[in-house]
Amino acid sequence: MMPSDEGLLDRFVDWLPKNLVFKRVASWTLVPFWARWTPVKPLPGGPHPSFQHGDNVQCMMNLIMPLKIKSPIGRAEAALAIAQNKDAIYAGLNNVGTVHFARFVIVGDNICMFSVYDGDFTNYIRDFIATIGSVFNAVVELVEGGDDVIPCEEKVEAFIQWVHEHDLYQVPDTATDFLRDQEALNGDGAASGNDDLTLLPRKMVLQLRANANVSLGSGYRAYPGFSVAQVRKQLGIGW
Amino acid sequence: MFDLADLQGNILRGYRKPHVRYLILEIADRIAARRWLAASISGRDDGVPQITTGNWGAAKPDTCFNIGLTYEGLRALGTPSSSLEMFPNEFIEGMTARALKLGDVGPSAPETWPSPFDDPGRIHIIATIYAGDVRQLDQVQQRALDRNALTLLGTREGHNFRDDFVHFGYRDNIMQPRFEGVHDPQRHADGQPRAPLGTVLLGHPTNLEGLMWRVPQPAALGHNGTFNAFRVLKQDVVAFEEYLDQAASDLLAHPHVDELLSPGAEAKIGQVMSVEGRHGALREIVAANLCGRWRDGTPLALSADAPDPDVNRANFDYDRESRCPYGAHIRRCNPRGGQIVQRVANNSRRLVRRGMPYGPAYDPAKRDRDKPEPERGLLGNFIGASLGAQFEAMSCDWLNLSLQDPRITGSNDPIVGANDPKTSWFDLPLKSGCTIRLRGLPRLVWTRGGAYTFLPSLSAIRFLGSQMM
Repeated sequence: MMPSDEGLLDRFVDWLPKNLVFKRVASWTLVPFWARWTPVKPLPGGPHPSFQHGDNVQCMMNLIMPLKIKSPIGRAEAALAIAQNKDAIYAGLNNVGTVHFARFVIVGDNICMFSVYDGDFTNYIRDFIATIGSVFNAVVELVEGGDDVIPCEEKVEAFIQWVHEHDLYQVPDTATDFLRDQEALNGDGAASGNDDLTLLPRKMVLQLRANANVSLGSGYRAYPGFSVAQVRKQLGIGW
Repeated sequence: MFDLADLQGNILRGYRKPHVRYLILEIADRIAARRWLAASISGRDDGVPQITTGNWGAAKPDTCFNIGLTYEGLRALGTPSSSLEMFPNEFIEGMTARALKLGDVGPSAPETWPSPFDDPGRIHIIATIYAGDVRQLDQVQQRALDRNALTLLGTREGHNFRDDFVHFGYRDNIMQPRFEGVHDPQRHADGQPRAPLGTVLLGHPTNLEGLMWRVPQPAALGHNGTFNAFRVLKQDVVAFEEYLDQAASDLLAHPHVDELLSPGAEAKIGQVMSVEGRHGALREIVAANLCGRWRDGTPLALSADAPDPDVNRANFDYDRESRCPYGAHIRRCNPRGGQIVQRVANNSRRLVRRGMPYGPAYDPAKRDRDKPEPERGLLGNFIGASLGAQFEAMSCDWLNLSLQDPRITGSNDPIVGANDPKTSWFDLPLKSGCTIRLRGLPRLVWTRGGAYTFLPSLSAIRFLGSQMM
């Protein structure tokens, strides 16, 4: 339909989603209704599988872990746990050799661990368990559900799985890739093709309902991907 | 400790039989299949072939029989879900779901695999027969096939070449891990620490200090079990030999060729390898560098200028002076004590390898350029207590991403890697410390099938075979 052919009703329907009151009302009414009507599974976290070298270095891990004790005391415990393990963390980075950096952040009553690593996720976590498992234990002990997977040295598989489940879904940069992820999760081979990508896709709204915390994109780099050891070698600081 | 009689017989030691056949089986009936499993360890020699156990000692049986179960197979037997969910993710998902980690992409992708590997959900049991001749294979197969219990989906068959040579013309079967507490007079010192039993058996200490892999419960099911990555790997010998020709011709014209092969040095290589001239010697130098061993098995780490039949082929390490390329196949698979990025991984990703070639040996004299070459390759078993921490970690990080050394990051394994001639490269080290970069390496090995299997202990077979499970 040409824009000039739009009637009053078409223009009203197109205007509705831009209206703040409508967005509020829809969030309370329409979204829960959709969610019941067309349930959406949360998409798994971590980088998108790829065989390209460049996609497999400088990968992001974004963990958001709700603290057991949701108070300034719980947050202080988390802050102390990191500070007390600083030396072990440096030793781990040095010995595992595939981690660019790791950051710990407290947001609300969550302790967040963000890191950038090379290669396979499970190898990264497994090598860290083997090197500084005690640090993981000290942090995860403070987190909801953490007791089931520590000591991580004795529950390697369960711990890795738990971390993977806490790793944020990385929303692709294009809406079509996002929809393909969702279809792949449901085992649908063929694209449904009935989503109007000029509007806010319903599936994206529902996914963000099921998966409230996500990473937008997979990190944006100012230069092509290099491994930790490539950077260290180039800088002449040993690897 | 552990009882050798509780292990399947091909885990700690290889049988070294000249013929092997794999029966790829689907469980047709749960109750009959359990009865079949129970019969395979009954000690009666008249029906179902008896599982060969680890205590075969000096009296090696004429034929050997072993089994591996896929996750789908364990399910089909009715294994309790509380046990099933204790198996590791990679095993539950199966080999086809792990394609990207294993480099099974493009022409190696599981979607291209022929029957029966095109329908992985139906592959429940992979039974293996080792024997002295094909007639024996047939006899054991006939006894193994109980049509009420099992449907034969397909077979794969391999046979040894003389002196342990394999396709591509290398001598294989030189290295296997030596295990703590296992007496194995065939294996001598190899410059590596003995591997803890947990490298290859569930329920024992692993090589990563303090780490234990989860043992599926009940203990009778998981303890002393292990996992196997069974792979059908097609090898393109023509492409390999043509690449050696091409690389040798390019090197002849290279300004630094004399540093790679000093004038006159071709005589010594020619003498051991039965090749002629500088071109022939350069072909062997390229082949040796790609693998890390001369084709007669001499490691480059011990003898980089020419093959030496007198060196100990197993006992060496990669020190800073080593002239084995960082990207050579054997150095990637097992970096021994050499410097690598993941320092905790030096000895932790080791695997037991049991493989045999399939298809006819390549004979350039008999090659008919008008006809397609017959398919040939390797039927490989890569055995370890953790598929994720050993086989997959090696395949993903070391063979294809090459994270272990920044000097090779961005290249693939020159022999088994997913190479594309447009982008592939490999550095030949020179005595001066400089390198000559080879380019245009083609893909030489394609995956044509495979499955992750669990190799149960005898106690586990008894557990799975009981009708009370």
